[in-house]
Amino acid sequence: MGPGPPTDGDSSSREPAIRAYSTNETSNYHQIKFITMAIRAALLLVRATPLQFSFNPKQALVLKQNNRNYAVKSSLEPPDVQRLAETARISLAPHEVEEFAPKIQQVIDWFGQLQAVDLQNVAPAIRADNEEETLRDDSPEIFENRDAILAAVPCYEDSYIKVPKVLNKE
Amino acid sequence: MALTFFRGLHTHSFLMYPSSFLSRKNGMLYCTMKSIRGQTETQEKSQHQLKVSTQTQSRKHDDIFKNFEAIIGIETHVQLSTLTKAFCSCPYNYGAQPNTSICPVCMGLPGALPVLSTKVIESAVKVGLALNCNLSLSSKFDRKQYFYPDLPKGYQISQFDIPIATGGYLDVDIPLEFGGGHRKFGITRVHMEEDAGKLLHTGNGSFSQVDLNRAGVPLLEIVSEPDMRTGIEAAEYAAELQRLVRYLGVSNGNMQEGSLRCDVNISIRPIGQLEFGTKVEIKNLNSFSSVSRAIDFEISRQALLHSQGQADQIVQETRLWEEGAQKTVTMRKKEGLADYRYFPEPDLPGVTLTEEYVDGIRCSLPELPEMKRRRYEGMGLNMQDVLFLTNDINVADFFDSAIAEGADVKLAANWIMGDIAAYMKNEKLSINEIQLNSHELVELISSIKGGTISGKIGKEILFELMAKGGTVKGLIKEKNLVQIADPVEIEKMVDKVLADNPKQLEQYRGGKTKLQGYFAGQIMKESKGKANPALLNKILLEKLNAKS
Ligand SMILES: [Zn+2]
Repeated sequence: MGPGPPTDGDSSSREPAIRAYSTNETSNYHQIKFITMAIRAALLLVRATPLQFSFNPKQALVLKQNNRNYAVKSSLEPPDVQRLAETARISLAPHEVEEFAPKIQQVIDWFGQLQAVDLQNVAPAIRADNEEETLRDDSPEIFENRDAILAAVPCYEDSYIKVPKVLNKE
Repeated sequence: MALTFFRGLHTHSFLMYPSSFLSRKNGMLYCTMKSIRGQTETQEKSQHQLKVSTQTQSRKHDDIFKNFEAIIGIETHVQLSTLTKAFCSCPYNYGAQPNTSICPVCMGLPGALPVLSTKVIESAVKVGLALNCNLSLSSKFDRKQYFYPDLPKGYQISQFDIPIATGGYLDVDIPLEFGGGHRKFGITRVHMEEDAGKLLHTGNGSFSQVDLNRAGVPLLEIVSEPDMRTGIEAAEYAAELQRLVRYLGVSNGNMQEGSLRCDVNISIRPIGQLEFGTKVEIKNLNSFSSVSRAIDFEISRQALLHSQGQADQIVQETRLWEEGAQKTVTMRKKEGLADYRYFPEPDLPGVTLTEEYVDGIRCSLPELPEMKRRRYEGMGLNMQDVLFLTNDINVADFFDSAIAEGADVKLAANWIMGDIAAYMKNEKLSINEIQLNSHELVELISSIKGGTISGKIGKEILFELMAKGGTVKGLIKEKNLVQIADPVEIEKMVDKVLADNPKQLEQYRGGKTKLQGYFAGQIMKESKGKANPALLNKILLEKLNAKS
């Protein structure tokens, strides 16, 4: 099987595994929830850019030109917090939804300011310019402090990382 | 052309759903011939008994299938045989102790930055060029977000809207036993990405195990155009890709280890209809034969639903091929489009190629399978020989060096495909593992051709060379195997044998001329296999007929 999209399991069973990678401490959990949501919301913006979603190179060319029209677009959709939470595999209590909505709106508005930049005379770029070539030779090196990485894994047994079962159930 | 598969089904029952779709009357796929033959034979045997009773229905089903056409595309993941992972210096060794090849980058720890290995770009360019693609001199990496325990970062670094290579094709020669012919299958795109870790689902526990050694290992995803129409075509496409990456030396292409993974997209539609049917994806295809069988099964399943007026039961879904049961089963139904929220990977710069770099790689490309096949064909070899010799690059190299040393093309091909291939198969050795080298094969062929040794002795020497090594000249000398081509010496042996067998001689002269073979055998034995057979027969015949 490809490395691609996960097989569908129920999201609730997956979440603890994800949490394990993020943090152990519940005090940080709330904060991380918000950050994740904000990132997701920001991604929603990116997603709104058709250029990123086109598989068809011809279409992409056309859309690149459309890119310049973004300057014209002024207001942005308010976030659907429930949906965001779903895609982030995070369960939110109703009061959290209420609490997060304006904050995420704020983040979106920051990005919204970028939409106001006039790009009429700027050639589209696929990536921000980078200073110099940053590549690496194919020579292996073992990372010394692997034990520390594994020590941070919440559940590690018999050389494996243990996670809640993620088999598909039909 | 679209229906070669259905033709193969004529005598098989369609009602014995589902296993009866899967037999292959005409042999197995070229590439996997050895490993699965036994299994097929058993299947065919059991189906034979059902044949008669269901023939009428079969004919009816044949008619149904004639009305449909399958549209097949394949996504292939090729694991690159680099020493390090794609974006960090962790070494990757298949089968290593779990979770030993990890670092902050491939574990997705905060603050760690990925750095791409040049070898990954080089491999992608090689494959892109070999697949006749257009290369993007400027491409980039994107993040594909999804949550799964084998993906520590929560996203896969991949290429989305600007892959490194697009719009190519792959030439395939279909083996004669599957109808033969040449096909050109379109390649939509080739892009670079990283692999995920491995998930193990142990028995009855309520947990799964994760090994992240493979997380971050470089892959090329090769997407074909939906150009294939039968399971055979799809399997041959996959086999050709395997040959291609092996010729290029970018991957070991090993399907069992998961270094080459094929996901098949398939839909069927009534012939003449322009729009495609509902697309079903098939995963878990671990061999070329399973690619072919899974597709044939799926075509049958869908055609049957169509014919029963249940086309609406064909839904967009991912199905798993179950090798044991020889059928596909639903894995997950698609609930709307997956929401991966692709966006440009901010931690990596764009991938820029210069024309000089690409030209340099283009010039360094080895002779590819398609070119080799055409060249061998031009040398006068038939397609069966050509396909055999080019299937394994090491065999082709062996053959090429023998030819370069002046060996007769057809003789060299015959030795390799005959006794050498049989020995390799029996001993489960590759051509590089046997002790015989191409130089000694050339010596052997010329020793037989020049009359120094007989063909029979040549065969004996060959087995010794393959098992223990050594040189043809050395063995001939050591074992005193030089062919006896001296008429006087042969005459002596003929006389002796005739004198030792007076009864048979009498019978021969009484008309039982078939006994010539008996005498020839006795004389050959007398010479310890060394007598020149033509000379032996000539002298024997003279003597036998002399006094009659
Ligand atoms: Zn690493």
